[in-house]
Formats: sequence, structure tokens, C-alpha cells
Amino acid sequence: MVSEAERHPLGVFECELCALTAPYSYVGQKPPDTQSVVLLEESYVMKDPFTSDKAGFLILGSCCSLCGRLVCVGPECSLFYSKRFCLPCVQKNISAFPQEIRQDLEKRKVLSKRPSSQPSSQ
Amino acid sequence: MSPPRTRESRDHQDHRQAPREEEALEKWDWHCPETRRLLEDAFFREENCIRQGSEECQKFWTFFERLQKFQNLKTSRKEEKESGHPKHSVPALADLPHTYDPRYRINLSVLGPDMRDSRGPGRHLPPERVSEFRRALLHYLDFGQKQAFGRLARLQRERAALPIAQYGSRILKTLREHQVVVVAGDTGCGKSTQVPQYLLAAGFSHVACTQPRRIACISLAKRVGFESLSQYGSQVGYQIRFESTRSAATKIVFLTVGLLLRQIQREPNLPQYEVLIVDEVHERHLHNDFLLGVLRRLLPKRPDLKVILMSATINICLFSSYFSNAPVVQVPGRLFPITVVYQPQEAEPATSKSEKLDPRPFLRVLEAIDNKYPPEERGDLLVFLSGMAEISAVLEAAQTYASHTQRWVVLPLHSALSVADQDKVFDVAPPGVRKCILSTNIAETSVTIDGIRFVVDSGKVKEMSYDPQAKLQRLQEFWISQASAEQRKGRAGRTGPGVCFRLYAESDYDAFAPYPVPEIRRVALDALVLQMKSMNVGDPRTFPFIEPPPPASLETAILYLRDQGALDSSEALTPIGSLLAQLPVDVVIGKMLILGSMFSLAEPVLTIAAALSVQSPFTRSAQSSPECVAARRPLESDQGDPFTLFNVFNSWVQVKSERSRNSRKWCRRRGIEEHRLYEMANLRRQFKELLEDHGLLAGAQATKAEDSYSRLQQRRERRALYQLKRQHEEGEGRRRKVLRLQEEQAGCSSDEDGAGPASRSSADSVDIQDVKFKLRHNLEQLQEAASSAQDLTRDQMALLRLVLGRGLYPQLAIPDAFNSGRKDSDQIFHTQAKQGTVLHPTCVFSSSPEVLHTREPEARGCEGSREDKDKMSSKHQLLTFVSLLETNKPYLVNCVRIPALQSLLLFSRSLDTNGDCSRLVADGWLELQLADSESAVRLLAASLRLRERWESALDRQLAHQAQRQRKLEEEEENETLPISPKEVAALSRDLLQFMASKVPYSLRRLTGLETQNLYVGPQTITAAPNLPGLFGSSTLSPHPTKGGYTVTDFLTYNCLTSDTDLYSDCLRTFWTCPHCGLHMPFTPLERITHENTCPKALQDGPPGTEEDASEPLQKASALQRPYHCEHCQKDFLFTPTEVLRHRKQHL
Repeated sequence: MVSEAERHPLGVFECELCALTAPYSYVGQKPPDTQSVVLLEESYVMKDPFTSDKAGFLILGSCCSLCGRLVCVGPECSLFYSKRFCLPCVQKNISAFPQEIRQDLEKRKVLSKRPSSQPSSQ
Repeated sequence: MSPPRTRESRDHQDHRQAPREEEALEKWDWHCPETRRLLEDAFFREENCIRQGSEECQKFWTFFERLQKFQNLKTSRKEEKESGHPKHSVPALADLPHTYDPRYRINLSVLGPDMRDSRGPGRHLPPERVSEFRRALLHYLDFGQKQAFGRLARLQRERAALPIAQYGSRILKTLREHQVVVVAGDTGCGKSTQVPQYLLAAGFSHVACTQPRRIACISLAKRVGFESLSQYGSQVGYQIRFESTRSAATKIVFLTVGLLLRQIQREPNLPQYEVLIVDEVHERHLHNDFLLGVLRRLLPKRPDLKVILMSATINICLFSSYFSNAPVVQVPGRLFPITVVYQPQEAEPATSKSEKLDPRPFLRVLEAIDNKYPPEERGDLLVFLSGMAEISAVLEAAQTYASHTQRWVVLPLHSALSVADQDKVFDVAPPGVRKCILSTNIAETSVTIDGIRFVVDSGKVKEMSYDPQAKLQRLQEFWISQASAEQRKGRAGRTGPGVCFRLYAESDYDAFAPYPVPEIRRVALDALVLQMKSMNVGDPRTFPFIEPPPPASLETAILYLRDQGALDSSEALTPIGSLLAQLPVDVVIGKMLILGSMFSLAEPVLTIAAALSVQSPFTRSAQSSPECVAARRPLESDQGDPFTLFNVFNSWVQVKSERSRNSRKWCRRRGIEEHRLYEMANLRRQFKELLEDHGLLAGAQATKAEDSYSRLQQRRERRALYQLKRQHEEGEGRRRKVLRLQEEQAGCSSDEDGAGPASRSSADSVDIQDVKFKLRHNLEQLQEAASSAQDLTRDQMALLRLVLGRGLYPQLAIPDAFNSGRKDSDQIFHTQAKQGTVLHPTCVFSSSPEVLHTREPEARGCEGSREDKDKMSSKHQLLTFVSLLETNKPYLVNCVRIPALQSLLLFSRSLDTNGDCSRLVADGWLELQLADSESAVRLLAASLRLRERWESALDRQLAHQAQRQRKLEEEEENETLPISPKEVAALSRDLLQFMASKVPYSLRRLTGLETQNLYVGPQTITAAPNLPGLFGSSTLSPHPTKGGYTVTDFLTYNCLTSDTDLYSDCLRTFWTCPHCGLHMPFTPLERITHENTCPKALQDGPPGTEEDASEPLQKASALQRPYHCEHCQKDFLFTPTEVLRHRKQHL
């Protein structure tokens, strides 16, 4: 079985904030091999590497709707609230976001300040 | 962005549905299977992301229930805040939804069935509920995305945190500038998993990475595939003896060293790779050392080929300098500090016979840990012991201790355990309990267990050593090397600071050798030399090994291969040798395969060869269980162990094909490790393919035409099996069971049957081995072979024994003369080089040794027994064996009994006779004294002819096959004809008759003194006696060292010293020829020659002997030869007797 990612390795996605990299196989709003799902933003997508299901896909990231930076969907880098925003842009415009999101970010800040755990084994 | 908007409006539409459906809403039950089915029909169809009935679907409903509970808690607070948001000046922010709703945070949407379509699957569903369902589905998909992305990010973080991560670009840069790079790093630095990925990322797409072990190939391919996000793709694959996941898309392949060598054998320049990673070079395996030598020669011819040698930080300069000072990239390992505690064992007064290891020092460590470290502080213990016996000694004691304290789960770990039992060391102990893993050095490098905090190092290892003189493998206990000691210590510091208890003194450590002895210095080199010959690397004696093997080992190997007929006298590969080189098995087993296929015994020989190439399937512990022993009994064959194994395999195949799922139970009841039988099946298949490839076996016949129904049925079964396999593979990652405290009892005796852990796992899962087996093999074919085995005729069985005997020759042992007076367990055997060997307890002859004794019922009238000479019998037997293994005693492994005289006549590399051939010495160590020289000569003559026929049949078969092979490649004309089935049939018949011949004789092993004074030595007489009547048409020449006359390359006539032999020529007795009535004094030899030439006798047919009348012994015309007498200068036409008589006149 040749997976989607292997058949069309369009390029390597790289988050401009955290430098996470992964090969993507599709950019757009309609991931291949699934008919029922539509993405609400232009996304970089790869086949979900953790499932053998052909229809499985994984959204890697998209461009911030404010600054246009390409960012990953990781919570340390961006959030989605009807559009994609990179965290630096969210911070700059924090007042534009509802309270729930502000609280969320606060919580995250506290969490990330905790020291990271000891090295994990391979 | 427009799509979101349309989605929104749609959802809102759903909310405003007509009130008349309220009734339906009241009765709505999300748990009702019918309701769920309707929704699934609507949303989870073939083309959708979740399919009905899938595991994913179940997961969704679980998620759904949780979400509902969660939302019920929250609904009350909803809609409260309608905060008056000021319109934002930035347009992108201006149109953010004002009312917060979690679904605005989801970046995807699901298309559902169209509700307005009255025929669609969703038409019976209230839209309110549908939208609720849709929302849940959205959250579920979003959750899945977050999870998967989280894994991806974590994976990258972990990779970046590995010590080697900082060296990636340096390795690549160095590789660009040099052809060979040595990457040295200690365990845990990540070199094995990361370096291949760096190459992949740098754009290399033909990378091979060799591993010394098959297991490592699979696990690394899995891990690297996972990390490089192509777990389900084929970028990363592995290739081992029985399995390959390699395809055209594969960019990195993990393979065993042996397999790579075979690829080089086929394509010496290795064109299919651009980078070669040789991992674990420091382990110094035989094949790895050889591979390095091959690569060193290959590199100048392939300047574009890059090589990375990966090693622990052991003896790095050796590898670097071997490749003209290749650059070294050294990566620090990631180890936490480890405290070393030396606890030398004072030489305790030998407890009893001190055969068994004293477990007390080990228990003291357990106690010390219990006293010093609170149970809440996790951390397991790994104990390194030298071997299985030592493990069971400590296991017993440790378990007793553990059952007192309830703080330990004790687990053994060694290679003879089943995979399932080995896997248990990865399970976790319950809180407050530690694992205590008792391991051989398998855990030093091959198996990595996380969570180890304490290590106990016994300082000992059991290793195979090889005695080239005795061709004896010896399993001996040694002190380990400093390198191993460090490796063992390092196992304590992988997850945190650790402690290493060394049960020896620091001064001992200082006295250890710095490195382990490389394998090339301690094993038999037969297979290596054969491979070297077939790869045309030149004389093995001058091959530039990284460290050369002992010359004696090389010489023994070369001699052995010559003895086996794989090399000719100029040490070039013979046809049989080149075939053997391609069979990945012991030379003896390869020979068996070739011989067997010639006699159309391929099927049984395939099974036996496979059975002899894997570890014994009989579990040790079953030996002490009377039920197991009794259950095994019907499978035992009194012909020998290979036949018992043959029966086991065949019965197992029958069980599998009849009541598929019971095979596991069947095995357990008989104390059989089923895993070994699976290995046999795999190996058998591989042998079969090899024989087919080489034209020694007709290819698989086209499958019988079957009706479409059964074909369909088969396809359906296969599909079901595939699905089972897939399910199993997907479930694999999640299993990490918690060990139960009570389990230790079962854990120790896990290979016994009963309610052990094996049965526990059988209850909850499919037998995946069984599934794989059925996918890989054609059970029907196997079963056919198995059932045809039961129909083997006596003749076929006898032929099979002959094939085995010839294959195993010269691995022979003679029963001690006094065995019949000894206890069953005290039977002793002698090989040429080793006296006093014993049978393995699992050997069939150790439980019924009487079948080897010569006490025979006198009823069968054999004429010679009238003489009643001591130990005269026609039933002497020898044992052939597969290997000689010395542990505490030298054991003969896998024995077959064969008739002594006939086998020696047919197989011996050297046969020496006295004047009347009544005394024979085989291979310079076994003496046969025949009662009757007449039958001796007759048998000898018959054996000569049989050997010649057999040899030429084999040569022609191989030549024909070799030609066929060449013809495939270059269209060659005029081929030699293969031997016809008729010829083979005639040969087998004659061989069987020969084997059945009954001649009384005595058999004994010569003493050392006797072997020294065996031969008369070179004689001054130069004229050869012409005895064509006896030995065919060959002319005889004096043997240069033994004396006597060389008849063939193995037979020397009349070279044995003996008192009687001196006069044998003149000892004549009166005899009357039964045919022509001639009455005169004859020597036995003359008598036979007369009989052979007597014109009357020829009319009457050959004299009545045991031999078949249809087999003409000699042709009369061949007997009279022109003879030129040098004394009287006359020419005669003489028979040999007449020549002798004539010559005597001149004396």
C-alpha cells in the first residue's frame, strides 16, 4: 500500500514559529480520500501517519489570517476561532477575542511555565 | 472565507425546525441501537471518514456519551453572556463571532445527508437530533486531529532531544566529504533510529542498514517508519530470512548482515544501494567482520558508495584505521550517573557438589534494595547471569523470597523462551512491586528494557567456543570483558540515576580482557569459508580480515569442506559446493537436501532438514512431566531424533488442518514449543523454494482446477485472515499489561502447560501465529506432504536413513563395547576425536538404548554366527549426529542409527583392507573384522560399484542443473541429460539391497597405539597386482605412504599391518568349486576370483549369496586382461588369479 503522503509529497511544511516540520501532501479545504469533511481554512494536510485508514488525514497548519505567517495548529503556536490566528497576533489583539479564549491562553501560560520533565526515553 | 458561512447558516436552519417533532424528541433515546443505526446509516457510509461497524465507530459513540455528560453539566450556563463586543478596527477581527461557542474553534465541518431529501437515509431523523449528532461528530474529529497532531509534535520533540540530534548535520557533512564514516555512540544516543532518518531527510533514497539480529531489523523498521511518519507506508522496510516488507517505494531497508552478504554474492558491486549503514560493528559478529573485509575491497570499485559504520564507543580506532583512518563522529550517550558497588563473593566453602550456582549473593542484593529504597520509589532490577541453568537456580530462590515479601515479580529472560514469555519483561509491575529480570547477556545489547534502576552483574557469560580439532562446540563459562561490564552497568542509567552491583572485585574487573573475543576466533568457519569461496574473494588464508581467524580453524574448515565434497583437491568449489553455498544452512543439512531431492524424497527431507536447523522444540521442563513424556511417546521414532521431529511436525500440521485452533494446546500438552514448529514451516518453505530455484525440485504444480465456489471460499477465508492480522497489528501498540503478583509461579514455569500466562493470552486474543502461518503457507500442500509421510514405504524410509547418513557423514559415533551392561542413562559413545560422549536426555536412544545393542535373535540364520566369535554380529550400528555440543558433558545432538558395515563401506573417505579384505579400517579409526572374507570381498566390490554409480548420478544431476541455470541466462546448446527416473529407481533398489545384506562382523574403535601402527608402509615391490575382478577395471598403483595399492581415491588394498596378513597370500586351503568341480588349494581372494571367472558359474548365474541375483557381480570378459610379465618378457591373457600364480613362479 502506498500512502497518500508518499504518492504526492508536495513539500515539507515548516511552522514559522516552532520549526516543526512534516511532509504535506495536500493544500486546500477538501482533503483527498474523504468526501464528508470540509476544512474551514486553507490547510496544509498530510495523511494521518498514525492510522492505516486511507481516509485519515492530519491538518498540519495554515496561514495566520492577520500576519500571513505559516503556523502549525499546535496550541503553542496558533489557535482557531472561526479563522486561524498565530499566538503573537492573538496577544497583540487580545481584546478582540472572547473571554473564553483569553482564559484559555492564561491557563496555557501557567502550564508552559512549569519546568519540563526529565528526558524521556526513546 | 465563504465556506464557514454556509455551514453556519445550515446549522442555524437545523435549529429552527418545526415544533411538531417535539414529540419525537421526547422519546428520543441515544442509546437505542436502532437510533444509532439510523444515524450511522446517514453519516458513516463507505465514503465517509468513519465507517459503520468499525472500531472508529465504537470509539465515536464512547466519545459521544462522554461529551453528552459533559454538556449537560454546562448547558445551564450557556447563552448567559451576550457581551456587547465593540466592533474591531482590523477587518479580519471585525467579523469574529460575538457569542462564544466552542464550535467556532473547530476548523473543519462535516457534510451530512441532505435532510430535505425525502428518500435519503436521514429522512426519519428529527433535524434537531441530527444537528446535535453533527456537533458531536465535529468535536470528535477535532479531538482526533488534536491527538494526532500532539503525537506528531511530541515525536519531533523527543527526536530533537536525543543526544545524536546535534550531530546529524555533522554526520551528513562528513559523509559528503568521505566515503566511510564511523559513528560511535553509546546505547541510548539514538544512532540506530536517527542516522537512517537523517539520510532520508538529506535526500538519499537507497539506504541499507544491516543489523546482526533479525528482531532488531523488524523493530527498527517499525520505529523508524513510525518516527519518519510512514508507519503505514513503505518508505521504510525490513528484509529478513522469512519476511520482507520491502517494495519499490522503500528508501531505507533494515536487513540482516547475512542477507546483505547474499546480495553481494549475487551482485558483487551492490548497485542497488547508495548508502550502507553497518550497525553494531563493535559486536564483532562473524558475518559483520567478513562484511567489513568485503566492503574494504568493494569501496575502490564503487567510489559513489557511502558507508557508515556504527559502533558503541568500543575500540573505535580499530574500525577507523581498518578503513584508512576514516573520520569518527563520536556522540556522547545519555546516561544518568550510576553508582558501582563491588561485592566480591568470598570463595564460599563449596556448597555440596557446587554444580549449581549459589543464589545467595543475588538474594542479598534483593534484600539490600528492599531495605534501602522505599517501595514507592520505582525502579526495576536486571540481573545478568551466564546461562539458563543459572537463571533457573536464581529464579527458584528469588521467587521464594518474592512470595515472602510480596515486593518482587521475578521474570526470566533468555533466547530459548517463547516470544510471548520474552515480551513479559516489558510489562509493568503493580505499584510498590519491582520487576526482577534474570537475563543472559541478551539484555546487554539486544533487548532494551526501560525502567531499570538496579543492575546485578555476575561477571560471567557462557559462550560457544569451538574446538577445531574435535569439531566440537563447547558452551563454556567465561569472565566477561570490561566492555561488556560497562555495557551491563549502563543498563541501570537509562531512565534515571542507578546502581550497579558487581559480584566480583574491582581487581577482577581490572584483569578482565578489554573487549570480548570476536566470534571469528571461537566458531567453526565451514560456512564462512564456503561463502568466501562462492563469492570469489580468493584464498581465505590471505583475506584481509579486520582481525584474522586462527589459522587452524581455517585449515580445519577447508579440510572439512574437502571431505564433504564441497571443495575439490585444489580447493575450488565443486558443483555441489556452489549449491551448498547458496543454501543458508549447515553443510551437512544442505547435502541432505540435495541427496534427498535426487531420490524423490524431497518432501520428507525438506521437513527433516528444516527440523534440524532450528532449536529443539522440546521444552526442558516437560522432560520431568510424566504426562508430557507419555503424550510425546507416540511421536517418537526409534530410528532417531530427526525422525521423531519429522513425526512431530507432520502430526502438528495434521492438527492444524483438522482442528485449527487446537494446535497450541496440542503442543503444550506434549511439551513442545510451538514457535519452533512455525520456524520449521518457514524454513521448510524457504528450502523448497531454493530447491525449486535450482532445478532440483519441480516447481509448484499448477493448483488443481477447483470449482469457483471453493475458490471464492478460499478467498473469503484469506480476507478474513488478513483482517485478523491487521486488527492484531493495530492493537499491538497499546498492550502493556500490568503484571500480577501471583503470576510469578506461572511465570517461572511458563513453558509448562496449565493455567500459565500463555493460556491467559490465548483466551483474550486470536492466535496470531496461527493466522500468520495460514497466510504464509499453503496448508493443503503441507498437509499433503504430512500425510504422504505416513505412507512412506519401508524402502523409502530406509532410503531416507541412507540420505541422512550420507549427509551427516563423517559425524559418526560408535557405541561403547560395554553399553549393553550399562544403565540407560549411562550409555557412552565415541567419535573419532572425542571419547566418552553421551546422549542428550531428549534423545530417543537415551530412553530406549536397547535398539542400539547388537543382541539379536539368532532365529535369522546368518551363517557366520556359527563361529560364535566374540561380538560377531550382522547388526552393529553406528550413530550419526548433527552436532556435538559440550556443556557440562559432551552431548551428541540429533542422532540417527545406521548399520555400521554398509554405511562405512558406502561413505568412508578412507577404507583400508588387508590381503583378503576380511579386515577393514574405515577412516583410520573404526575396525571391521568380517568372519568370512568371501562375503567381505563381495560386499566391498558391490559398494565400490554403488558408490561410483551414486556419485556419477549426483554429478550428472548437478551438472545438468548448473547447465540449465546457465542456459536460462545465455541460451546454451547441448545439455547433459539428467539422470532418468529409471536409473534412480535401479540405484535406489541396489542401494537398499546392499544395506540389507547380512554379514556377521565385529566392530571396534582402534586404540591410539593401533592407529599409529596401522599401515605396512611403502613397499619395494612396484608391480601392481592386477585384480580387476575385484575392483573393476582400474589399474592399481602402490600407495605412497600406507603401502598396499591404491584402488580408488578412498580405497587402499592390502595396506594394513597384521600378523596374519603377512602370510595371507600363501595361506591356502583346499576348496572345490561348486560349479566346475575344480578341487585345489586357494587363498580366499583366489577363490573369489575363480568364482568370478569360472565359466560354469557364469552359466549358472552368480553363486547364491545374499545379493540380488539380478545384479551381475562382474563381467567375465572384464576379468581376463593382457598381462606382460617383466621377468619372462612374455605377454599373456590372464585372470588376476592366474597373474598371481604366474608371478609366484619367478619368486
